[in-house]
Amino acid sequence: MQQDRVHVRLLIIAGVAFLWMGAVFGRLTYLQLYRHSEYLSRAMRQQQRTIEITPERGTIFDRNGKPLAMSIPVDSAFAVPSEIADENLAARLLSGVINKPQEEIEARFESSRSFAWIARKLPPEKADAISKLNLKGIYLQKENQRFYPKRELAAHVLGFVDVDEKGLSGIERELDSEIRGKSERIVVMADAKQRWFDGGEAKRERGASVVLTLDEKIQYIAERELATAMVKTRSLAGTVIVMNPNTGEILALANWPKFNPNKAGDSPSESWMNRAVSAIYEPGSTFKLITLAAAIDQGITRPDEVFDCENGAVYISGHRIRDHKPFGLLTVSDILAKSSDVGAIKIALRLGAPRFYDYVRAFGFGSLTGVELPYESRGRVEPLDWKPVSTAAISMGQEVGVTPMQLVTAVSAIANGGLLYKPHVIAELRRDEKVLPAEDALATAEPRRVIRAETAATLRQLMEGVVLYGTGPAAHLDGWTSAGKTGSAQKIDPSTGRYSPTQFFASFTGFAPINNPAVTILVSLDSPVGQHEGGQVAAPVFKRIAEQVLAYLNVSRDVPLNPKLIETAYMKRAAEDPSALEESSSVDFSGQPDPPPAASQIAKADAREQAVSTKPVLTVAVDQGGDIEVPDFSGKTMRDVTDIVLRLGLDPVLVGSNLATEQSPAPGAKVRHGARITVQFGTPLEKKSKQHAGVRN
Amino acid sequence: MVRKRKKAVTAEFYTVKRIDNSRLVRNVEPAKMRNLWRTVALGGVVAAFFMLYVFQHFRCIDLSFQLEDLKGQHMKAAALNSELKLEIAGLRNPMRIDMIARRRLGLTEPLPTHVQEYEAPDGAEVAAARFVRPNRAP
Repeated sequence: MQQDRVHVRLLIIAGVAFLWMGAVFGRLTYLQLYRHSEYLSRAMRQQQRTIEITPERGTIFDRNGKPLAMSIPVDSAFAVPSEIADENLAARLLSGVINKPQEEIEARFESSRSFAWIARKLPPEKADAISKLNLKGIYLQKENQRFYPKRELAAHVLGFVDVDEKGLSGIERELDSEIRGKSERIVVMADAKQRWFDGGEAKRERGASVVLTLDEKIQYIAERELATAMVKTRSLAGTVIVMNPNTGEILALANWPKFNPNKAGDSPSESWMNRAVSAIYEPGSTFKLITLAAAIDQGITRPDEVFDCENGAVYISGHRIRDHKPFGLLTVSDILAKSSDVGAIKIALRLGAPRFYDYVRAFGFGSLTGVELPYESRGRVEPLDWKPVSTAAISMGQEVGVTPMQLVTAVSAIANGGLLYKPHVIAELRRDEKVLPAEDALATAEPRRVIRAETAATLRQLMEGVVLYGTGPAAHLDGWTSAGKTGSAQKIDPSTGRYSPTQFFASFTGFAPINNPAVTILVSLDSPVGQHEGGQVAAPVFKRIAEQVLAYLNVSRDVPLNPKLIETAYMKRAAEDPSALEESSSVDFSGQPDPPPAASQIAKADAREQAVSTKPVLTVAVDQGGDIEVPDFSGKTMRDVTDIVLRLGLDPVLVGSNLATEQSPAPGAKVRHGARITVQFGTPLEKKSKQHAGVRN
Repeated sequence: MVRKRKKAVTAEFYTVKRIDNSRLVRNVEPAKMRNLWRTVALGGVVAAFFMLYVFQHFRCIDLSFQLEDLKGQHMKAAALNSELKLEIAGLRNPMRIDMIARRRLGLTEPLPTHVQEYEAPDGAEVAAARFVRPNRAP
């Protein structure tokens, strides 16, 4: 009896256990077989996140390793809308932080239940603010953002990128695939507390770094001088190219109007245009160099041959072509120096269209130069079916379209002895400190001989004549020989289809020093107002750039200086307007609203106040920090100043004559024994006028 | 009514029964003992492996968190490094330096006559070599 009861109880327990196990097994079967995919996807969504790791874009350096473009990681905010408890509240809170309308954020929540960007590439303070909101379903993700720390410097060469770090112009576009690297997706796990772990290691292939041939200091000199010229001449646009004629390296490439690649969208799209390679224009008289190069190389004329320039007008096939000034008999040398159109036409007609055409094409006109910049134009050279009037027009730079890059490359060939180098802006590509092999377009090309070395030497002499006694005396350098050619080409008026009598392309292309050229410089200004000839507006820019660049490159002077003439010339030069230089901050998070206005406004106000209150004086840097106090020399004679300076054990540098008016360092400054003291002498009137003039150029 | 008769009280005697089982000796079977110890050892090994597995599992998760923390620190340090490099590059902007020189320090370019060229004395090239960048002059 007792045993029966035990058996019954055991059976009941076993039955309950069996039912329980059956229920569990049944539930498991149901979940695993029928709702497997649903729960799997929910678990994946909750526990895993796939992140696309975008590798850092390679840095772009100048030739001296100075970074011109670099990427740094910044935070972007995204939402997983299915995890957000109160979308309205979240949108309102986020709206206050990122300054976007609440409706826009709500619309983003609605766009997807699993992922939606809220704001990309946030400045640190905004990312911190979002993080502090601690909203469920709102996360921060690191992304790289491109920065151009030198702002407008070399903007047209560097180009810019879009929000997804895709290159849109310049080197950023041309080498996008190399600079960008390869992105990869990785899976990250999360625990119950939504802490991320086990991200794994993404095998990122970093983007290649680019080393340019540009030198940031030469680039700055070119841009500054171009900007000054643009303000003075009120031109519509301008271009400066500085090239090493012996290698084809572009040392500087400046365009106006300029733009800040950090905020490219804020500038009109016209300012993004790299006119150095994309804009074609009729080169005008600078093209006479090609005419003469062809004629002299073919031996059909020589520098001392005399041509009758018909007193300023010649008839070609019934068309009357006038010179800019009536000339009588001119040698070939004078034809170039004085830029006689009639002389150039007569030489070209003697040369003949076929041979002239061959040289035009040999110098690279009508074809791409191959420089590693996007949107390069071929220029325009009509097929060889030239009528005499076309030959005449092309000989003086009309009916032919060239880019500044083509022209500076051709002039470099004359400068270096007749070899045409492929212009290039990329020195090398590097990945992880290793130099990558140059392939395809980046491979160095052997230079091509376009004229004989003797022809090039003759042309260099003729071009020196342009500077010494021709149309370009403003390109005469202090301390170096220089050669070049002016150009003042009339623009075609689109409304009439004829040459405009008021709008010109003023240009100057030259090189220095003559015997061993270190740089070739092209300056072109589009539609200068007032003075419009290349010798008047472009040649002075060439001089300013060439003198600074040659000094920077430590190129030895090849002509003696005349101190008195230089002093006089420089003292007369108009004062430079400091406000032409824009305020610059070290780092800005561009593309985002401005930082607190107070700080920048205060800084600008301070800068303006200093610019007004400080009257820069003629000065040079000397060693400071010594124990000898510099006396006040004002009003003293040269003899007195020399006695005092030598007695103090200092090195006097006396400039000018009469009484001391200026000195450097200033009175009271402490200098070391043997330091150089520069004292400017003149009349008190000179001093007053100088103070009035303000800053010297 | 029938009245129940009382039962007679019977005396019960409990005697002390002395049992001496000292002579009983449990026969220890060596084979069973070996099996026992083997089972215990095997269980211990299994338990140890299980514990090791559990320890490794949780340790792995713990280290994953630590690794993520370190990765985060590394990323922060790398980001700071990049930001500092960017700031240095910005501070070296030639335009900024030019503005400071002209506006704040009142410096202007020296005249060509102020720049003197000297013949380098013997050995000067050696001393200056490390300051000269080879790619500076074209």
